[in-house]
Amino acid sequence: MNEQSVISTRGLTRYFDKKPAVQDLNLEVPRGSVFAFLGRNGSGKTTTIRMLLGLLEPTRGTGGVLGYDIRSLPPEARARIGYLTEEHQLYGWMSVRECGEFQSRFYPRWNEKIFRGVIGHFNLKPTARVKDLSRGERAGLCLGLTLAPEPELLVLDDPALGLDPVAHRSLIESMIYLTRRSDRTIFFSSHQLADVERVADYIAILDRSVLRVCCSLETFRNSVQQVRLRFPGAPPPVPHIPGLLQAFRAEGELRLICMHYNDATEQALRALGPTQMEPLPISLEDAFISYLGERGEKSFILAETEAQP
Amino acid sequence: MRALIQKELRENLKLAMLGLIIYSAILALNIHTYSHWMQSVAAGGQGQREVVMMQPLVSGGFWTVSGIVCATFGAILGWFQIHNERQRDLWAFLVHRPATRTQIFFGKILAGLMLYLLVAGLPLAGYLLWALAPGHVAAPFEWAVLWPVAVFFISGMVYYFAGMLTGLRQARWYASRALGLGTAVIVSMTIMLVPHFWQVLAVILISGGILATAVWGGFHSNGYYCSQPVPGKPALIAALMPGCAIVIGFAALLLIKVPRQTYEPAPPYYRMNKDGTIYKITSRKEGWEPEIADLEGKPLVDPKTGSAPKLAEFDQRKCYENTLWPSFYNPAEAYRDTWFNNSCNRFTFWRETADEFWFYCNRNGRLAGYDKKTRQFIGSLGPDGFSKDLTGNGDHFDRAGYNEPLQGVVLRDARTIYQPYPEHRQVKALFTITNENCQAAAPATNSSDRIIGAVHEVWINGYDWNYIIVVTRCYVHLLAPDGKELWRAAPAYPKYNHVTVACLESTNQFALWTSPAWWLQDKSGGKLPEHVTWLDQDGRVLKSIDLPNLSYHPFKFVREDKLMSLAMPPALFVIIPLFEGDPWPSAIPWVLVHFSLAAALVCLPIGWWLGRRYNLSLPARLGWAAFQLCFGIPGLLAQLSVEEWPAREPCPHCKKLRVVDGEHCEHCSADFAPPEKNGTEIFEPLGAAK
Repeated sequence: MNEQSVISTRGLTRYFDKKPAVQDLNLEVPRGSVFAFLGRNGSGKTTTIRMLLGLLEPTRGTGGVLGYDIRSLPPEARARIGYLTEEHQLYGWMSVRECGEFQSRFYPRWNEKIFRGVIGHFNLKPTARVKDLSRGERAGLCLGLTLAPEPELLVLDDPALGLDPVAHRSLIESMIYLTRRSDRTIFFSSHQLADVERVADYIAILDRSVLRVCCSLETFRNSVQQVRLRFPGAPPPVPHIPGLLQAFRAEGELRLICMHYNDATEQALRALGPTQMEPLPISLEDAFISYLGERGEKSFILAETEAQP
Repeated sequence: MRALIQKELRENLKLAMLGLIIYSAILALNIHTYSHWMQSVAAGGQGQREVVMMQPLVSGGFWTVSGIVCATFGAILGWFQIHNERQRDLWAFLVHRPATRTQIFFGKILAGLMLYLLVAGLPLAGYLLWALAPGHVAAPFEWAVLWPVAVFFISGMVYYFAGMLTGLRQARWYASRALGLGTAVIVSMTIMLVPHFWQVLAVILISGGILATAVWGGFHSNGYYCSQPVPGKPALIAALMPGCAIVIGFAALLLIKVPRQTYEPAPPYYRMNKDGTIYKITSRKEGWEPEIADLEGKPLVDPKTGSAPKLAEFDQRKCYENTLWPSFYNPAEAYRDTWFNNSCNRFTFWRETADEFWFYCNRNGRLAGYDKKTRQFIGSLGPDGFSKDLTGNGDHFDRAGYNEPLQGVVLRDARTIYQPYPEHRQVKALFTITNENCQAAAPATNSSDRIIGAVHEVWINGYDWNYIIVVTRCYVHLLAPDGKELWRAAPAYPKYNHVTVACLESTNQFALWTSPAWWLQDKSGGKLPEHVTWLDQDGRVLKSIDLPNLSYHPFKFVREDKLMSLAMPPALFVIIPLFEGDPWPSAIPWVLVHFSLAAALVCLPIGWWLGRRYNLSLPARLGWAAFQLCFGIPGLLAQLSVEEWPAREPCPHCKKLRVVDGEHCEHCSADFAPPEKNGTEIFEPLGAAK
C-alpha cells in the first residue's frame, strides 16, 4: 500500500450469487483528499464501501484502510474511521442526547463541541427520539455521531440520499465547513454532482461494477468533450469512433460527446464532411450523465424517429 | 462494554417485561389452583390424590410450563437481540466502533443473560419462596426435586444461543438458519433420558459451549461461514448437525413409515383361569379375535354356544393375581431410573386420613405426615413408631423396589413387614422372617435371607384379595392381613425374579408363577422356561409344570429401523452407548452402524465432489470427507448448509468453468483477467491533480 493512500485495493471483487457487484477494483485514495465515488444505482459503490470497512467479505482480492487489512480491521483502526451509512439508521428508541452518550463512550477522542455543533446546525432537540426525527434530521444526527470522534478518514455512503433541498444544503455545509481539514481524508459516494463539483478533489466512477475512472475532477472534465458538426442536409451515419459516448442527430446537425478527444478523433469527424465543426462547453453533470448513460446514437430527426419500430 | 450492556438492557427490556408478566401470571395461577384445591380437600373434598398435585414443585404442569417458558423466551430473546440490529446499516453502526467483535458479543450476551435471569429466575424464585414457606404446601420438600426445573432453567440458555444463531446466520437456504434450534431441542430430549445428573450438565455445557462459539464466530464473520475464525467453523457445523439429523430423520420417517401401516400381531401369552387352567392366547390377523387354546393346543370352546369365546368374555374367567419383580441376586439388575425420574420420585403419596396426608419419603425411609388444614408438618412414622421430626432415631423402612406398589397397606425393612396406623401414630410389626440363611431353600445363593419385596393390595379388579405377598431371597410368603403366614414356597429357580401369585377362587388354591430374570433370558436366548406351581391353602405343592417361555421378546431391528439408520449419522450409534444406563442400549447396535456407514460411504464421494466444486483446499476437502464418513447424510446436509456456493465463469485461458472466489483458475492456474476496456477509461497517478 502506498504511504500516501489511506485506502488501497487490489483486484477487489464481490459477487452476489452469480452476479458480480464489484469487479477487479484497483483503487488508491490519497491522504487528505476529498474523494468522490460515483456511479449509477447498483454499480457497486455501497458494496465497495462495505468491503472496505470489513462489513462484507470480498469474493477475492485484497484491500487496506489506514494500513490495515480490510478483512481484520482492529478497533484502533475503526476509531480512526468515521462511517456514515446510506440509510442513516439508528436506534429508534434512543433520544438524540442518548445517541451521543452511547457513541461517546466508545471513542476516547470524542469532541462534544462538534456533536453539539452539528445537531445545533440541524436544529435537533437533544430530547427528541430518533424514531420521531425526519430523514434529514436523522442524517444530521448521524453526521454528528460520525464527526464527533474526529476521525482521520470519513467514509460517507451517499450522505444526501433522500434529503430535501434544505436538509441537503445543511448536510453539505456541515461537510464542507466542519469536516474539511488537511489531515482528514473524505471518501464519499454520491449522486449529487453539484456537491461533487463543489467539494471533491478526485473522482472514481464505477460503471456496471467496473472501475472506469479514477482521476482528478479536472482531468475528468477535460477528458469529456462536446463537439457540434453542421451539415447541409441530414447528417451522415456516425462511424465507429474510439471514446464516443453519445451522438445526437438533428436536422443538419450532429452533436457528439467523446472521451479522450484527440487528433485521430478530429480526423475521423472531419471525414464526415461537416460544413462547420465547433467545440461546445459541457458541464460536469452532463459529462457524468453522458459517461454513465446509454451509449450510442440518439436521433432527433422526425422521419428517422418514426421509421424506428 | 458497559455502554453496550446498558443499551441492550434498555432495548430488550420491553420483551423481558412481557415474558416476566406471562411467566409470573402462569405461576400465580398455579399457586391459586393449588390453594383452591387444598381448601376443598381440607373441607372433605374427594378426588384423585397424586403427589404431583400435592407438591406444586413436582407437578408436571409446573415443569412443563417452566420448560416451555425457559426454552421459548430464551430462543426469542436471543433471536430478538440480533434481529433488532440485522438491518444492514444498523448492524454496520453496531460493529463499526472501536471495540472488538468479541467485546460486542460479550456485551450482548451478558445483557441477554441478565434479562433471561430476570424473566425466568425471578418468578421461579418467588414460586419457590412461596412453596417453602411453612403453611403453604402440605407435602414434603427436598432440594433434589428442584433439579428438573433448574435444568430447564439452565437449558433455556442453550435455546438463547440457538435463537441468537438463528438471527445471526446468513444462510443460502432460509430454513437452514433455524437448524441451530435442533441442538437445543435435542438437549431438551436428552436431559430427560440420561441416567446421571453429571451427564445432564455435560450435555448442557457442551451444547451451550458449541452454540456460544458458533454465535461468537458469527459475530466475527457478520453471520457468514467462510470468514469465521478457526473455532467458529467447527462449532457452527456441530451446532447445525443435530438440526440436520432431525430434518433428515423426519424426512426418512415420512418416507418409510407413513406409506407402510402394517399390522404387527401382539406376541402370544399365557392366561390362567380361576380354576387354575392355563390357556395360550395367540393373535393372528388384524381385526380377528385371538385364538384361545389350552396347553395341548386344543381351542377353547364355549359349551353353551359351541363356538370359541371372545377374549372379553374369556377375561371374566381370569384368575386374580399379583406380581412382584424384585431383584434377587444380580445387583446389576436393581432397577435404575433416569436422574429425572429419580428427582420426581423423592417421595410418594402413601395414604390419606380424615385430617392428614401421609407421604413415604425415600431418603429417610419414613412416612411423613401433613395436616390438611394448617398444611404443616406433623411428624414421621418409622419402624420404631412416631417421631416429631423427619429423621426419627434413624430407624427406617426399606425403599420399595421396582414394581412394588407403595400405595398399599404394608411397609417393610430387611426382615419385618409393618402395618402403620398413622391416625394412632403407631406402627405394628406384622411378620418377621425367621430363616437366617438361604442354604436350605436355595443352596446356590449362599447368603442370608432378607425381604426384597412385599405387596398388599386389598382390591384387585373388584376382587377382595386381602393377602400380603412377601418375597425374600429364599421364599415367597403369603400372609393373611394380620400377618399370619399361610404358606411359603421356595422359588424353583432363585434367579427367577418375576414372581406372580394367583388366587384360584374356584378351587381354593393358589398358583405361583416364576419367570427368569431378563438378563438370564437374554443370555439363554429365551430358552429358560416359565415355572408354575399349584399350592393348596396350607402351601402344599399340588403340581408344578414348566412352560415354554412366552414372555421373552428379544429386541430385533426391523426393516424400518435399518432404513431409518441410513439417515442417521454413524457417529450417533457410537456416541449413545457413552451414556450407558437402563434407558439406553449398552452395546453398539452394529447392524444399524453398518447401514448407516453404507449411507455415509455414498455421501463421502459426494462431499468430496462438493469440496472440489467449492474450490476448497485439499486439507479442507479431506476434513469434509472424514466428516461425511462420521455423520453420513446429515453431515452432507450440514456441509450444504454452511458452505457458500461459489459462482463460476469460463476461464478465458483454458475455457473451463472456474469458481470466482479463487485468485487463480483451479484448472490452469491462470490469473483472473481484468475487465475488458471500452476505451473510456481514465486512470491518473495518485496525487497528480491535488
